[in-house]
Amino acid sequence: MPVYDRGYTHWQPSDRRSYPAWWVIARRGIVQPWKTKGMLTLLLILLVASWVPAIVKGGIVYFKLKAGDMVDLVGGSWTSIEPEGFLNYLDKQHFFVFVIMAIVGAGLVATDRRDNGLSLYFSRPLGLRSYVLGKTLILLFYYALVTFVPALALCIFAYLIAPDAVGIDLLLLTPLRLLVFCALTGTSMSLVLLAFSCLGKRSIFIMVWWTVMVTGTKTLGAIAGALNKGALQLLDFMGQYDNAGTFIFGADATLEVSRFLSLAVVLGWTGLAIWVLRSRIKPVEVVA
Amino acid sequence: MRGSAIKVNHAATTIRVDDLNFGYTSEPVLKGVTFELEKGGVGLLGPNGSGKTTLLRCLLGQVGVQTGQVTVLGHDMAVSARLARCGLGWMPETGGIIPGMSGVGLVAYLGELSGMPARDAMQRAHEVLHYVGLADERYRKCDGYSQGMKQRLKLAQSLVHDPQWLFLDEPTSGLDPRGRVSVLELIRDLAWNKGLGVILSTHLLADVEAVCREILVLRKGELLARQEVDAGSRQPRQVFEVEGFGDEDTFRRGLADLGAEIAEEQRLLLVTLDLNRVEGAAAGEGQWDPAAGVNAILGVAASSDYALRRLRRRPVSLADEFYDLVEA
Repeated sequence: MPVYDRGYTHWQPSDRRSYPAWWVIARRGIVQPWKTKGMLTLLLILLVASWVPAIVKGGIVYFKLKAGDMVDLVGGSWTSIEPEGFLNYLDKQHFFVFVIMAIVGAGLVATDRRDNGLSLYFSRPLGLRSYVLGKTLILLFYYALVTFVPALALCIFAYLIAPDAVGIDLLLLTPLRLLVFCALTGTSMSLVLLAFSCLGKRSIFIMVWWTVMVTGTKTLGAIAGALNKGALQLLDFMGQYDNAGTFIFGADATLEVSRFLSLAVVLGWTGLAIWVLRSRIKPVEVVA
Repeated sequence: MRGSAIKVNHAATTIRVDDLNFGYTSEPVLKGVTFELEKGGVGLLGPNGSGKTTLLRCLLGQVGVQTGQVTVLGHDMAVSARLARCGLGWMPETGGIIPGMSGVGLVAYLGELSGMPARDAMQRAHEVLHYVGLADERYRKCDGYSQGMKQRLKLAQSLVHDPQWLFLDEPTSGLDPRGRVSVLELIRDLAWNKGLGVILSTHLLADVEAVCREILVLRKGELLARQEVDAGSRQPRQVFEVEGFGDEDTFRRGLADLGAEIAEEQRLLLVTLDLNRVEGAAAGEGQWDPAAGVNAILGVAASSDYALRRLRRRPVSLADEFYDLVEA
């Protein structure tokens, strides 16, 4: 019988697999930006551009390994295939991280708040953790696309052309370091951006706050560095992640402040973000 | 997780609220609300700010119960609200649309969030959108829907996972008369023919009369009354419109002997009879013979030589009762 003759019928559950709510939220959030032409174009441009440094570095690494001393001309840790070279590479990806997360993440919670979507979500059998996990995974996915994935591709490329001696490191340890660093950094940054997103109802304002947060603190950190005011470098939001990440990559500190302090700052930001998310994401908004 | 993982206690279909107190701030919104509901259409009536939406949110487990207990489908909402929500559908008054999605995409998405497998959710989304009359518009972005279409879409999303209870918050808000009637027909069909429990929160009495068997009246957070919608017709005090000619004085005296109150309204006599005082009217505990009042007046008219041209019972409207209650 066609559906329009059937009226309302009760659902008979099938044996098909159903997925947890966080997975459903993440999948939808990852796919959604590709459905509008403007966003699709923007994301493609960004993704292609974010891979250019990896391609350039891959080329330099190739010549360095094949042509030896000739590439001393383009020396520096950025071209290194040592762990700190990869950390340096990730540091240079900050711009793409900042932009792609702003575009994808600013409205993730703000739009739901604006359209009373939270009420819909929390009328379903899901809790705050599932909701935040789903939204965080969306940001992590895009974060990984501009950091972990090109870095891993570089790693594999370097392994394929590197001498046997460094092979194991490139095949096992460096990818593991990249994975741990990107997972922790990406999660923390995603939570902070989500916390920003749940403070407002309009994506554009969240983008502005995020821009001020990232570029403003970067500028302050740079000024502090130039003035040899090491402690003030703690204000550099993204810089702390790299400085703390030197633990994982076994590299020297990238800032003039202690790596422990940077780690504490990162943990502080993450804790604050979680507190904001817990207190702001509610199905009911109370206007006092 | 399999589709059957949606765990709803089918044996327990009731909603039980016991001494519920709740407030967003120190000011209480709900005060000592207690009731128990079986499936069917239930109207939640009350003036603005009486706590209707808050009560629905407590039943959904969206706000924590401060004191008292709420049990829905056998689940204590303070402990296992999420499990109970598998069997509950919610249609919010405002918003409730996730922009950028097509109608069918939104409904299927919310079905999946309710624990349905993706293919089942999509299939079911098509079905419920047909049911609510949005079949032709289901692939359009819901941002561009009219108000009436949005209300239907919200009803569809609340139905997609086949809940046992539907909580509808002002479902006819912002609809034109035709749209209102058709949405009420859908809700009535669900409550009367499809075996769903429906709680309809509204301040429109006509909506409640069209859909519900029973009403709960809230005022300032307190449950003021609970009664069946047609209870007015079973009240012992009944009002009759009487018009006739003949010996009116004798007729009036006869009615007065029955304990009737008589008033005049243009050419009509308004006769208010208390069936408790009419011999043979009682038909059990709280029950009265529906014809007893008419028969009593006919008897008095016959004995007093008064010819009746008109004898009609004046229905007691839900509105009259509601306003009497709220203003009392």
